[in-house]
Amino acid sequence: MMTALLIGLVVLGGSAGDVFITKGMKQVGEISTLNARRLVGIFGRAITNRYVLTGVLFMAVSYFSFLGALRLADLSLVLPATSVSFVITTIGARLFLKETISAMRWAGILLVCIGVALISIPSQP
Amino acid sequence: MKTAVVLITAIVAQAFGDVCLTKGMKAIAGLETSGAGLSELLSQVSHIGLQAMQSPMVWVGTLLLIVFFVLFSAALSWADLSFVLPATAFGYVLNVAAGNYFLGESVSNRRWAGALIITLGVLFVSRSGERTSETPRDEVAPGVLE
Repeated sequence: MMTALLIGLVVLGGSAGDVFITKGMKQVGEISTLNARRLVGIFGRAITNRYVLTGVLFMAVSYFSFLGALRLADLSLVLPATSVSFVITTIGARLFLKETISAMRWAGILLVCIGVALISIPSQP
Repeated sequence: MKTAVVLITAIVAQAFGDVCLTKGMKAIAGLETSGAGLSELLSQVSHIGLQAMQSPMVWVGTLLLIVFFVLFSAALSWADLSFVLPATAFGYVLNVAAGNYFLGESVSNRRWAGALIITLGVLFVSRSGERTSETPRDEVAPGVLE
């Protein structure tokens, strides 16, 4: 039960983190310069953006939940379970960032999700 | 084009970062968790942390992972999250290959199959266009775009 809760926090925290960081970076604006001084300015705006900071906080929650989950369960359970986050993050991107997910993109994301699960299940049980 | 260059650099940095971290951390004695109390565990963790900070491999690995995160965030400033995130999953494929090549890890058929399926998925995603959400262009500070 505790393990399921922690894995849920890993996935939701990671997805929320990605969504917030994307929202913040879209506010910072498209980076299309290689000028060092401008890049430093953009970097400064990014790390002080409220959404980016919130995103980083969620990622920290996700990371520590991951460590906590590893104390209770094997990596062989925790790691494949987190591959669901590709789907959860996509749903978040659709709902909160108004991204359009075409059938082609959904197919790709589902394949990635299956592949990551296959890769992260260890060979020797 | 810009997206491809930034994301490929990010993925390669991540794969090499993971290899360096693994090399560095494998050189340090592991946790002995069986029968250890909380205070014993904490002292072990802090000991490992101190040793890790003295390992150049761990520093290089951490630096490369920071490079990954900065490039990943940069790509998110113009491309969809639902594009960038699955695209960076190709890093798993590189990790399997790099683990096999540089660290001598054996890779089962199932993991190679997983790598193949991810590659296919990333190809699908890369065909779906990198941007669908609208940007409030007026929110973008003038002078940022060149």
